[in-house]
Amino acid sequence: MRKIFLLPARFWMALFFAAPLAIVCAYSFLTRGDYGGVELPWVLENFTRLADPLYLAILWRSVWIASLATVFCALLGFPLALFISRAGRRKNLYLQLVLLPFWTSFLIRTYAWIFILRDTGLVNTVLMRLHLIAAPLQLLYNDGAVLLGLVYNFLPFFVLPMYATLERLDPALLEAAADLGARPFATLRRVILPVSAPGLVAGSVLVFIPCLGAYLTPDLLGGGKSVMLGNLVQNQFTTARDWPFGSAASLALMLASALLLAGLMRSRIARELM
Amino acid sequence: MTRRTLLAAAAATVSCARDRRPRLNVYNWSTYIDPGMLTRFESERGVRLLYGTYESNEEMLAKVIGGNSGWDVVFPTHSRLAPMARNGLLASLDHARLPALRNLDARFRSPAWDPGLRWGVPYMWNGTGIVYNGAQTPAPQSWAGLWNPNLRGRMTMLDDPEDAIGACLLKLGYPFGSVDERQLQQAKAAAIAQKQLLRAYLNADVRDQLVSGDVIEAQLWSTTAAQAIQGNAKLGFAYPEEGYPLYCDCAAILRESKRYDLAHEFLEFLLRPDVAAANARVAETATANGPAQSMLPRDPVLYPQDAIYRRGIWPTALPSAVQRYRDRLWTEIKSA
Repeated sequence: MRKIFLLPARFWMALFFAAPLAIVCAYSFLTRGDYGGVELPWVLENFTRLADPLYLAILWRSVWIASLATVFCALLGFPLALFISRAGRRKNLYLQLVLLPFWTSFLIRTYAWIFILRDTGLVNTVLMRLHLIAAPLQLLYNDGAVLLGLVYNFLPFFVLPMYATLERLDPALLEAAADLGARPFATLRRVILPVSAPGLVAGSVLVFIPCLGAYLTPDLLGGGKSVMLGNLVQNQFTTARDWPFGSAASLALMLASALLLAGLMRSRIARELM
Repeated sequence: MTRRTLLAAAAATVSCARDRRPRLNVYNWSTYIDPGMLTRFESERGVRLLYGTYESNEEMLAKVIGGNSGWDVVFPTHSRLAPMARNGLLASLDHARLPALRNLDARFRSPAWDPGLRWGVPYMWNGTGIVYNGAQTPAPQSWAGLWNPNLRGRMTMLDDPEDAIGACLLKLGYPFGSVDERQLQQAKAAAIAQKQLLRAYLNADVRDQLVSGDVIEAQLWSTTAAQAIQGNAKLGFAYPEEGYPLYCDCAAILRESKRYDLAHEFLEFLLRPDVAAANARVAETATANGPAQSMLPRDPVLYPQDAIYRRGIWPTALPSAVQRYRDRLWTEIKSA
């Protein structure tokens, strides 16, 4: 009986996940058509090209920026989740507020940041009116702006799993810690953090992986001055018209994410706590 | 109700639901036609138009390359006409069915990219130049104006390898469509040097920042430039002296089309001066239709005078290997 109920989900995954993935896989071994598309013969060249230092540097940059974004999400998201989990009756209100940005399109929210950060934007106008700066600061089109956009967009993905773990945290544990003489910081380090590790891991993965493949944020807030892996893939499918190489690059991205996940699953903390 | 009347009623319902009018499938750039003109063609001819839009030549080519896309009329940029024709994707035009070709501006009656107009009817065109804020800087004469150290952080280039690398080549005195490795390497070095001075690589997004005064100089298409100038009268547009690229989108009939006659009627309709003028008004760009031009305001940005027009370069499609080489250079520039 259970199998029957699983059928729609299986069908859905086969049609919209496995089949497109198989197509991307096949494309990555084919040859570039002159006007887009793919042609025979089958080749390995698209993967060997990825070993080029130019593309490895882009991969490294993407990993670095995605890592930074994850760290910032954790630094902001952990206290926020802890606060919400202990907010009593207001919990639901705060959770709604965390989810509120999702009511508007990702694209529009990113454009809104352009209006906030640009020379004649909100931040610069306020700072200049207060005579704190004489000339506008260049806030837009640099790595800082990209990082800001990524942290802003993916923070809820960290807060929600973090909240789910912290919410289940038994208050008796905290009382016990206090009774045994632990100061607040010791309680955080030795009781709350170990117990909430699964949420920390889940939240970090949910932030890191989409950041690794991000292309809109680096494009809009980075002004096309820095390339991340997602931009490389996008460019191969548009102006460069090199679908096979774009497919190979996106497969490499997927493989990196899958390896990371597998590594986490097998790690000691995951086995102990999940 | 007998079985027979039931069947008759069912058949009637089905035939009502199905539109019996002949249908033409037109695939065009977005905001590139006056929707009122589409309904006018439908009611005049008693036909139905299925109208779809795309955002880039690549998007359109990806659809029609297989030869069974279902589209009849497409609007490739001039440089794509020859390669598309070589690949057997286009039907040649029958001039006997297109008497209104005489309405074309003299510049477009037998263009270098398609002598004798075998493959496409020139539709709309525009060039790439430099928008500048006249209150902050004098009009740049040359592409070198986009390397101005005094405007550090206040200049942008197009996020487009053909235009951006092309401008570097022109600045160095090389051809826009260079295939020479040494010249392209020098262009890359110039682009990387310029990157330190640039605010960003932006396409249409730069328009608002030009209007607000954030950006003082930008490499931009004349169409988008004309829109920015409408928003801020201090802005001006310069066509650099080394030359500049021109692009013309052309209406072409796909060889796969089974509605060759109707497609010609549609192209003939687009060549009517009032129709062309209405479409140019919506697209806010320059029309290739002579009589239509005189029905529109004569904007010197959209319609450069002859002396300037002659400096324009019509880019041709690059060989595949060069294209790939340039794409790699572009990635190197972007990640430098």
